[in-house]
Amino acid sequence: MIELNGITKVYRTGSQTLEALRGISVTIGKGEFVSIMGPSGSGKSTLMNIIGCLDTPTAGEYRLDGEKVAGLTFDQLAAARNRKLGFVFQNFNLLPYATAWENIELPMLFDGKNGRKRKERITELLNAVGLYDWRDHRPSELSGGQQQRIALARALANDPPILLADEPTGNLDSKSGEEIMAVLVELWKEGRTIVMVTHNDHIAAVSERIIRLFDGQVI
Amino acid sequence: MNLTLPRFFWSEYRKRRKKASLITFALFWGTLSILLLMSFGRGMSTQFQVAFSGLGDTLIMVYGGQTSLEFEGLPKGRQISLYPEDVDYLKERIPEIMRIAPESYTYLQVSANGKEINRNIHGTTAEFAVMRTQVPQIGGRFLDADDVSQGRKVAFIGWKIAADLFGAGAGDAVGKQIVINRIPFTVIGVLVKKIQDSMYNGPDADQIYLPFNAYQQIDNRRRINQIHIQPHEASQSKLIEARIRTLLGRKYRFDPDDRYASNFWNTIENNKEGMAVFKGIEMFLGIIGILTLLIGAVGVTNLMYAVAKERTKEIGIKLAIGARRRVIIEQFFLETLFVFAKGTFWGCITAFNIVNLVRLAPINYDSFGIEAYLLRPVFSLQIFVAYMVILGVLVFLSGIFPALRASRSNPIESLRYE
Repeated sequence: MIELNGITKVYRTGSQTLEALRGISVTIGKGEFVSIMGPSGSGKSTLMNIIGCLDTPTAGEYRLDGEKVAGLTFDQLAAARNRKLGFVFQNFNLLPYATAWENIELPMLFDGKNGRKRKERITELLNAVGLYDWRDHRPSELSGGQQQRIALARALANDPPILLADEPTGNLDSKSGEEIMAVLVELWKEGRTIVMVTHNDHIAAVSERIIRLFDGQVI
Repeated sequence: MNLTLPRFFWSEYRKRRKKASLITFALFWGTLSILLLMSFGRGMSTQFQVAFSGLGDTLIMVYGGQTSLEFEGLPKGRQISLYPEDVDYLKERIPEIMRIAPESYTYLQVSANGKEINRNIHGTTAEFAVMRTQVPQIGGRFLDADDVSQGRKVAFIGWKIAADLFGAGAGDAVGKQIVINRIPFTVIGVLVKKIQDSMYNGPDADQIYLPFNAYQQIDNRRRINQIHIQPHEASQSKLIEARIRTLLGRKYRFDPDDRYASNFWNTIENNKEGMAVFKGIEMFLGIIGILTLLIGAVGVTNLMYAVAKERTKEIGIKLAIGARRRVIIEQFFLETLFVFAKGTFWGCITAFNIVNLVRLAPINYDSFGIEAYLLRPVFSLQIFVAYMVILGVLVFLSGIFPALRASRSNPIESLRYE
């Protein structure tokens, strides 16, 4: 499902170059729950961004569902992010002016789904995360845990096979963090592929496999 | 077309719109300026046309003259006069002529209702009415063919004459008698009030018209002052002029190329020149309007650039969850349109009301002044369409660059932006 082969990412700022990833080769199969761990600056987020089609590698090959990502256009990458991948960020990244309902609706709007389908799916997702009564609230009116549950609902809006979670519990209290993890485990059990970046060994323990990075390499 | 996404953008815009009141005002002001300038420009052109038609409608006037060239042994400096029979002579030989009428006039005393005034008295025929826009007030009429052929003692008088002789209720003048050169004439019609910027012997409001045959009883000169001609097509006016020179030259023995032997007042050509000037003014005013609106548009572009920067993170989020480039461009365009819509809407409404309010102002027909041109602006559909086209171009130009910049954002950098 996710095949990374010799992935290198080099950042250039002026005369300086920074090698964030150095020849990473990883394969993540369908339905796996994988954690990516490593100290700050080890390249976790860069790897996550490449897997998430938000960034492109400097060298190496990335195949998503057997398709070479390097050959995709800006809009094809957008379509992949929209349908195949769901993102959960550490800082939620909800649109501040949109309500909970609208935030969940947006990926479906981008996918061109009709009104009836959207309504059904949003209702289903809001009920699943237990926030149906909060549907008309904006992010600023929700707690961190509630915001992350809305973000999770948004990530699942188009029913993507892969869920990418970048430190999903990083900004949450322990109770909210546990709730989010419970949902992730549930989703994994339903057959979804989960890739999660975390610092926390305790949280990583729920995953099937841990990929440890250090200095841009898998150790 | 699926309008869900635009509706979503509208709801987003409404929730977070900032009071860009200065830009809204600049757009309001620009719209008001462009529409008023165009309306006043169009109004001036229209009034020029109206004022010009006060003299006549596609009219050529022919006068006699004095020869300036020797011709077939005849010396230069001979007086060339026109005579009543020249009317038929020209009409029979020039098929391009639609209407033709002679005119003679003299200054005489007129008395009625115990009052005495001195005015120009004209003798002419029925066709004069259409050519020289002699429209009677309700209840009256101009001279007809029978009046002329039978030499009836009837008169068509200007509205000022009616007022001078019979007081303010000029409509009452019809049926009353006026005495000219000791001969009584019955008033059959009074001229409506009209704007007239071109004239000879003063405005038509101050003239009296008699049937040509009746007129000859008070003025025994054989020659006439001028002949009025209306061609079938305005474009034939130059051709008719040339034919008249040739025909009159043949009849009165002068060189057709002699510019002074016969004279012409070709209002069709004058009108063309006048209209060109007014069209030029109209365009100039329109351009000033566009420049004013442009200031507002530049403000919108600036605002949209600021919006693009302010929303960097938000654009990043949208890109991360699958927004295509087109979606980002669409949102910026719509937002540009929303910003424009507010100011321009009120600008349109205000301009429309000002134009209609100004049109209510009265025009003084006694002294045809600048107000006759300024107080009749025209807010036409054509002006509105022209404005919408200009506005469309400005919306596009204001929105496209900020929209393109936003759509080319890097999702990672945008997501990191705080």
